[in-house]
Amino acid sequence: MDTWKKWAIGAAVVVVVGGGTRAAGLWGGSNGSSNALKFSFPTEIQTLDFSKNTDTYSGTIIGNTGANLLRVNAKGKAVPELAKSVKVSKDGLTYTATLRSGLKWSDGSSLTAKDFVYSWQRIVDPKTASQYSYLASGVKNADAITAGKAKVSTLGVSAKGNVITFKLERAMPQFNYLLTFANFMPQKQSFVEKQGKKYGTTSAKQLYSGPYKFEGWNGTNNSFKLVKNDNYWDAKSVKTKEIDYSVVKKPETAVQLYKQGKLDRASISTPELYAANKSNKDKVKVPEATTAYIEYNQTGKNKFLANTKIRQALNLATNRKELVDQVTSGISTPANGLAPQGLAKTASGEDLAKYAAPGYKYDAKAAAKLFAEGLKEVGETKMTLTITSDADSSAAKTTLDYLQGSLQKPLPGLKVEEKFVPFKQRLSDSQTQNFEAVVSLWGGDYPEGSTFYDLFKNGASYNHGQFKNSAYTAAVNKAETTDALNDAARDSDYKTAEAALYKDANFNPLYFRAGYSLARPSVKGIITNTTGLNIDFKYAYRK
Amino acid sequence: MVKYILKRLALLIFTLFLVITATFFLMQIMPGTPFNNPKLTPQMIAQLNKAYGLDLPLWQQYLHYLVNAFRGDFGTSFQYQNQSVSMLIGQRLPISAQLGAQALVVGVIAGLLMGAASARNKNNKIDGLLGVVSTLGISVPSFILGIIFLYLFGFKWPLFPVSGWGDSFSQSVLPTLALAVTPAAVVTRFVRSEMIEALSSDYVQLARAKGLSEKEVVNKHAYRNSMIPVLTLIGPMAAGLLTGSTLIENIFSIPGIGQQFVSSIPTKDFPVIMGTTIVYALMLMVMILITDILTAIVDPRVRLQ
Repeated sequence: MDTWKKWAIGAAVVVVVGGGTRAAGLWGGSNGSSNALKFSFPTEIQTLDFSKNTDTYSGTIIGNTGANLLRVNAKGKAVPELAKSVKVSKDGLTYTATLRSGLKWSDGSSLTAKDFVYSWQRIVDPKTASQYSYLASGVKNADAITAGKAKVSTLGVSAKGNVITFKLERAMPQFNYLLTFANFMPQKQSFVEKQGKKYGTTSAKQLYSGPYKFEGWNGTNNSFKLVKNDNYWDAKSVKTKEIDYSVVKKPETAVQLYKQGKLDRASISTPELYAANKSNKDKVKVPEATTAYIEYNQTGKNKFLANTKIRQALNLATNRKELVDQVTSGISTPANGLAPQGLAKTASGEDLAKYAAPGYKYDAKAAAKLFAEGLKEVGETKMTLTITSDADSSAAKTTLDYLQGSLQKPLPGLKVEEKFVPFKQRLSDSQTQNFEAVVSLWGGDYPEGSTFYDLFKNGASYNHGQFKNSAYTAAVNKAETTDALNDAARDSDYKTAEAALYKDANFNPLYFRAGYSLARPSVKGIITNTTGLNIDFKYAYRK
Repeated sequence: MVKYILKRLALLIFTLFLVITATFFLMQIMPGTPFNNPKLTPQMIAQLNKAYGLDLPLWQQYLHYLVNAFRGDFGTSFQYQNQSVSMLIGQRLPISAQLGAQALVVGVIAGLLMGAASARNKNNKIDGLLGVVSTLGISVPSFILGIIFLYLFGFKWPLFPVSGWGDSFSQSVLPTLALAVTPAAVVTRFVRSEMIEALSSDYVQLARAKGLSEKEVVNKHAYRNSMIPVLTLIGPMAAGLLTGSTLIENIFSIPGIGQQFVSSIPTKDFPVIMGTTIVYALMLMVMILITDILTAIVDPRVRLQ
């Protein structure tokens, strides 16, 4: 009997002493200086190979440890970074970038124009098999090279001395932003080839050109840090010496750590966390440049959806405000067009989404009237509509549940059926037109309208409903050719395009996705972007 | 014995082959591609498939996989760019295994002590209390305990860190305890019933009749004999613990293999799914084999054939 008691006391002592010494910091572990900024990711990071990366959080590390020709500033404009200047020819087909002198990699070796050429060639090379090679589409021969029909060396990117020249096949209004992108940051050929298959798999197997160096990541571990890069060209603007990162998978835990002062930022984007922290004064909105919308199958396979009045009725019967409140606890924003809030600014500095909004609204009465007329036109008295959505996302599920209930009420004769399939199945169903209506999400790649307006051009591969709207296509084409370098004219083209989509009710915008975070007010200078690098620490510091 | 082990090893290789084949063809039923970017058009997917050899006929892909696997090359992850599967599993499995081993040691020791205490105090208060504890331990899942521990010892009384792995030993305390409760409870009940049986057996009666002290009777005779059946229990339990607990790894942000395996499935990361399945199957089979051999060593009445 006594033996058991001794054991129990022993075990209790171990726990108490262990906990106590840990609390006293005797076990090490509380790494980093107290002045360091502290952030977390909800998942592990995957790679530092930025030609291949598809992961947002790996992208945050990559973007803060790297630099490109231009960098997006606090006002959302692309300003010179490694380039002294970037000039564009009158036809918009040639861009000439001149590098600053004395640029260096984090290891002290010199960074040259050739490193940019190599990086552009690497991403379009079919051997690299990058999932983002399409971003280079428009640069001379990029598509042909990716398809394996031309040599990598024929790409329209060349270097001479400290000048890099880009030749384009067509004018690209977004090209300046591509020059800020992490995927196109310089890479040193000799380093990449030396690392071979292990390139970018640990923090030691990458070179850095940006404000910070990345340290302490062995490919698996969950705590690592960004350390100021003294070889960065603008190191004098970087006030923070160290940013500690850890992986905290449960968002509730991250919020608790924020409240204990152990993290400087925590996402509260789930409806439950948002509801619990709504009145916290540290709350900030984080727009995402992502639009959720319904696509209607307009191939003619479904005679109801081929009818404009029925589509208009469905759009009018959609109560976007209520949807946002019920599905996302009011976190997201009701959509009033295709291009989302926070994506881009017009020439005069207004939000593009606000400027181009064609006037989507909820009007049950008008909807019922149009629906009755539409049914008459197709010679039916009732309609069954199957809407497809993702089975593996709780937001997608609640969205569809809401739509089912709310569309049927104002439209007598309508029966909405739910069809849930896995995300990957939904993508392939959309691409093969195996749907009647489908809830889709689209996120922008760069802060310019074409990242959204390219979607629905006649014959475009993302136009899953396969509708043809000539007025829309003409307006978007005009924006991307004649008006490519004329910001104000392009804005008005996009407005025309939105109006054309609205008139024919070719799609049904639901909401612009957004999130909320708790952010430490004493940490200043963080730049958040809706596309590209989502959180930029270059100017960040603790006051 | 040697012949028996060789026979079991041959069977093990054959089973592995079946597991590889079944997993390979079952994976083809899943929709979609291993490419995460939803913006890829069918043409771009075709180009990527070609680059990764996914456009080849299925039987060719299968043969390639078998040949490469035999050579020890399990491919490269689609999700973790440039990371070979052997490296990915090689880095994460030891973390899960360490956690599992710690939980197993703590759980089994606690179970042995509590089981013996329970049996020796049969039907009194201590037995009743331990009965309640072990019933709770079996019925409350480890991830619920994990969340409770996290709340109590991470936030309410912040004694231990709440997330991460490898920076300090203290990070492993809460997940180890959360994982150890179930094995402890199972072992407790097992040992209790075995001990009660042993204590009323003839050889214990004889030992008592010889005038041995109660301590000697229990430690030398009853305890040892009731340990044998526990061994058969520990083998499969070890396989389960060492291969990682997805939920515990998620709650405490531990970069282990369980978490990795689950995330590889919706992303359709073929090479990782295959590699992990093989490792899991292998571990389970090896553990069962070791258990069988150990049982034979401990209990001379068992003969392996």
